[in-house]
Amino acid sequence: MSSHAQQPSAVKMGIPIPDSKLGMWLFLGTEIMFFTAFIGSYIVLRLGSPGWPTSSEDTHISVVFGGVNTFVLIVSSYCVVVAHEAMAQKLFGKARQYLLITFALACVFLGIKSMEYYGKFSHDIIPGRIPETPTQAIAKVDRELETVVRARFAVYTDGEDEADVNVPEARDLATVSAQLDVFANGDEGDAARRETAKADLRLYSEWQNLHQHIVANVSLEDVPQAAGPGYLKAREQLAEGEALPTLKIGEVEGLVKKLKSDVDYGPAVKAGVFDPHPVLYGNLFASIYFLMTGFHAIHVIVGMILFGLALGSKLDESWTDWVENSGLYWHFVDLVWIFLFPLLYIV
Amino acid sequence: MAHEENGGHLNYFAVFIALCVFTGLSVVFDLLKFENRLITIVLVLAVAVAKAMCVMMFFMHLKFEGNWKYVLLAPTTILAIGLPLALLPDIGVAYYTPLAPQAGEWGEEMQAYKASHHGSGHAESPDAE
Repeated sequence: MSSHAQQPSAVKMGIPIPDSKLGMWLFLGTEIMFFTAFIGSYIVLRLGSPGWPTSSEDTHISVVFGGVNTFVLIVSSYCVVVAHEAMAQKLFGKARQYLLITFALACVFLGIKSMEYYGKFSHDIIPGRIPETPTQAIAKVDRELETVVRARFAVYTDGEDEADVNVPEARDLATVSAQLDVFANGDEGDAARRETAKADLRLYSEWQNLHQHIVANVSLEDVPQAAGPGYLKAREQLAEGEALPTLKIGEVEGLVKKLKSDVDYGPAVKAGVFDPHPVLYGNLFASIYFLMTGFHAIHVIVGMILFGLALGSKLDESWTDWVENSGLYWHFVDLVWIFLFPLLYIV
Repeated sequence: MAHEENGGHLNYFAVFIALCVFTGLSVVFDLLKFENRLITIVLVLAVAVAKAMCVMMFFMHLKFEGNWKYVLLAPTTILAIGLPLALLPDIGVAYYTPLAPQAGEWGEEMQAYKASHHGSGHAESPDAE
């Protein structure tokens, strides 16, 4: 051994904690700024957006899910601190048990979170997809209905053996519908297929009617034929300065309901068209919700990796600092959720 | 240092129980549906601060750590508070009328629609300033 190695270790200068713990605290310092940037921006944006959506009808946020997840994280935080204490007391078996519970609770947390996310996706609560005004909601129904019609028409134009309709793609819906009309009312081809074609033509007609009313911005009920003879007649009868009744979201809501209840194409409309539901600042809400809870969930996964590495090891004395530092990180993850829960789920 | 002073397992369990009680309180405050929503906001955020203090002081052992904690955490805290304060005057409490185009379309029709769909929900009014 060298003489240098026999010297008593020099007095440690600086902060009196292990380097790894100092590193973790410095990292947590940056994490505090990372999350408070999100939380602070959210508070500021919300204060500046009167009419922010808070009803669960709009946001599909469940206090129960959030509350249960809060409880899950609190229990996991407690387990981590007990595991750390057990490591300090060299009770490695006990530490392993509590780390395992923490890992399992992290899985439960992510499971509940994924259920929440599924609830959002199934109502199309996705940033950029939420209509914020009645006009946007009606236009969205129009687009979704058109997509359903195109998909149903594609069956006749893209037939593998022989297409029923001689149009290469269902791009030009007017041409397809004209040829489909001939096919449906003729006596060639499969009879059942001709019946389906008749139903699809009815759906096309319903969509076309809505589309024309949107273009003309006139009521479905009071002006039955938008841009058609009925529309022109109604316009002629207007006194000076008088306007035709405009399209109302309630009318479109009723139409969607009617289309979804149809025996033939109802299931396709149900699968492809969301009920019109405008939510003022809905996209801003969704962006903030997914950004904050998404980054939090990523932190949960990182925590699981840290605990997973410890659990996959022999978990002896050399892992004491690892468990302590991972624990500090996990408490921080809990800390962030402590603020996200009231801010997103209650306030 | 921290481990010599933290009082051991039982105290951790007491902190855990306190955290559970605080979480229950948050939910109760939400269910109480105060007439003035501000009361709920203040109460649940106060509870969140109390929970955060419990976690930081006892689970993260900051109560038992040396003064280095102030050196490390004070600058980040100042910067963390600084960002929302810097944004607040322009976005949060703008002195001019905010002109979000989508808010302009929310007239009587939408208020009636919202009332019929949400019942007596506590959705904020877009007109509220």
